[in-house]
Amino acid sequence: MKKSIKAIIQVIIMITALFTLTAWQASSASAADNSLQRVKQRGELIMVTSPDYPPYEFQVNKGGKSRIVGMDIDVAKKVARDLHVKLVIKSMNFDSLLVAIQTGKADMAIGGINPTATRRQSVDFSKIYYSGGQSFLINSSDVNKYKSVKNLKGATIGAQTGTLQYGLAKKKIPNSTVKGMDKSTDLVLALKTHKIDALGIEKPSAEAYVKNDPSLKMISSGYHLNKNEVGAAIAFKKGSNSLVNAVNKSIDQIKQQHLTDQYLASAGKYMKVNTVNTSMWHYWTYFAKGVEFTILISIVATFFGVLIGVVLALMRFSKQKWIRGLAISYTEFIRGTPLMVQVMFVYFGIGVVVNIPALISGMIAVSLNSGAYVAEIIRGGINSVAKGQTEAAESLGLSKSDMMRFVVLPQAFKNIWPALGNEFISLIKESSIVSIIGVTDLIYQLNIVRADTYRGVIPIFVAMVLYFIMTFALTRLLNHYEGKMKHAG
Amino acid sequence: MQDKKILEVKHLSKKFGQTDVLKDIDGTVKSGQVICVIGPSGAGKSTFLRCLNLLEKPTSGEVNFEGTDLTNVDDKHLVNLRERMGMVFQSFNLFPNMTVLENLKLAPVRVKHLSDEEAEKTAMHLLGLVGLKEKAHVYPSSLSGGQQQRVAIARALAMNPEVMLFDEPTSALDPEMVGEVLEVMQKLANEGMTMVVVTHEMGFAKEVADEVWFMADGYILEKGKPEELFDNPQNERAKDFIGKIIQNV
Ligand SMILES: Nc1ncnc2c1ncn2[C@@H]1O[C@H](COP(=O)(O)OP(=O)(O)O)[C@@H](O)[C@H]1O
Ligand SMILES: [Mg+2]
Repeated sequence: MKKSIKAIIQVIIMITALFTLTAWQASSASAADNSLQRVKQRGELIMVTSPDYPPYEFQVNKGGKSRIVGMDIDVAKKVARDLHVKLVIKSMNFDSLLVAIQTGKADMAIGGINPTATRRQSVDFSKIYYSGGQSFLINSSDVNKYKSVKNLKGATIGAQTGTLQYGLAKKKIPNSTVKGMDKSTDLVLALKTHKIDALGIEKPSAEAYVKNDPSLKMISSGYHLNKNEVGAAIAFKKGSNSLVNAVNKSIDQIKQQHLTDQYLASAGKYMKVNTVNTSMWHYWTYFAKGVEFTILISIVATFFGVLIGVVLALMRFSKQKWIRGLAISYTEFIRGTPLMVQVMFVYFGIGVVVNIPALISGMIAVSLNSGAYVAEIIRGGINSVAKGQTEAAESLGLSKSDMMRFVVLPQAFKNIWPALGNEFISLIKESSIVSIIGVTDLIYQLNIVRADTYRGVIPIFVAMVLYFIMTFALTRLLNHYEGKMKHAG
Repeated sequence: MQDKKILEVKHLSKKFGQTDVLKDIDGTVKSGQVICVIGPSGAGKSTFLRCLNLLEKPTSGEVNFEGTDLTNVDDKHLVNLRERMGMVFQSFNLFPNMTVLENLKLAPVRVKHLSDEEAEKTAMHLLGLVGLKEKAHVYPSSLSGGQQQRVAIARALAMNPEVMLFDEPTSALDPEMVGEVLEVMQKLANEGMTMVVVTHEMGFAKEVADEVWFMADGYILEKGKPEELFDNPQNERAKDFIGKIIQNV
């Protein structure tokens, strides 16, 4: 017992050390500014965005293909063109955008980000390329109740977590309750189902929603704000002066030529295209892609999870105390922390040292997580084999490895198999967490469809049915094989 | 030949944590001898038997098997010596994931490196000996208790051991199946197999045993020829115990 506590402390120390290294790497990178040079050498400008915020950025389904479009994308395209490099777009939660550039996952983050003083402490910003202003969305039925922002006193206000709107609503609307959610689509749905009274949102976004949905109305925020709190700017890792300066030249041109008007107009056109066909059939490729990734991640994670699990389980039966301790600490640590945190740690944390793409990061995190659970399943299965069996094997002079191979494991496997099947099924469901780092699994695709169609509930229902079909089919399959194994004696 | 010592135990003791289960046991088993060990439940009979093939590691003392002290050999040699001692358990412990034939072939093939044909030949011969040739290809779960125990005996014999250890081989059986197992054991004894048998089957002990050892509280309190020990026990505890089992018969 004492030993295992010791081992646990060792693991914690190791992880702390890794963290420190990570943080140090992140900060030391600012020492020499080669940001522009790196982009040019690579020939690619990597941007991150959260494409659920029309008309700034959103996904459209054109000819069965999904594309990210919007004013911000046009701005980024211009920047890339001016730099003579290719634009690469990565998507993830708004919450994660700034972290992504701090950890070097992308060169810049763009997404209607307001360059507030607080944010300036952690990242650098370009000049403001667009000033939209703040507003609120309300239900049409409430137009008489909430004539102006003054009437919102004491109301429940929704805003995207991590956004300026969230902070402003807290600060500027007296006695209000502010509810934060990740996705603006969820917030709109919450508004329409009266879970919130008003939704703090940028004016262009609000206008887009009002245009597409007659049950929504917009009121002006009436906030008196400085331009940093209304304008949108591009965020960069601290110390990227050369890149910021280069980008600012493009922004100067955008402002001189009023290009954003043009960008907004074309974004509006996409939104019209978009509302033509909002049937779920129209989006089947989205769901298919989501299902494909969900299954892919689950299969890969099950495979490596079993591999890691077997190794850990064998370590638990080792003669060396420290090997046992290591396996115990690992298992306890993984089981004692949420999968979501592990996914973010692999992607953002370890990602600073070695840059791992989101999909691979997700697979690694889910595999590492599953391994700990599989180890326990295997250990339980081995322990469930009657002691008499190992004694009989020993008395016959069988070696330890022969005993495991011919006597213990085949019997243990009968108990392990159903539990492993359950683990695989729960992986299908739990792997949905990888959507937070932008892996296009079913949950991620579901949110895209929701943002795209302005329909809040039906896509959720479709995803639910798809998840159920996957798990149900798998359960049936596993039961079939389990039955077969029972017949084998 | 009769005088060759196969097993010689000296000052054997075994502790489980604080409890002394075996305290200073001495005893000699000669080639071809059949020893029956009797005694009340909890006396330490099973522990004693398991110390003989080192399934349980003695706390102190010696277990000499053909002149080698087993308490002093490394794991690798121990495996070699152990394969020369067969053991039969109260609960049979056949491998349920293998057929009867596979149960018998596993150790000869994996440990003795016999060829598949050789192992199969021996196995079928032994199944014939215990009268279960026709059950070679079934799984143990389809056999009765008595049949399973006969297979377990055959499995131990397949390693061609020099001594067989039996730990209450009939006490988990329905009464009508005890006979078939004892019959096999008697046949073995008649063929000259050296055997140490923990049993309460007085009839078997009287008929087959060369010596009976009475165990209680971690000691061997009395040793003697079966007729002496059963009909005229010297030790008070032995007298008491034998009185009780005779009553029960
Ligand atoms: N692995 C063990 N750990 C602790 N105590 C044990 C263990 N095995 C046996 N004992 C104890 O040793 C004593 C003798 O057991 P055993 O040798 O099985 O007696 P018998 O076979 O004569 O009934 C019992 O009190 C039992 O509880
Ligand atoms: Mg016993």
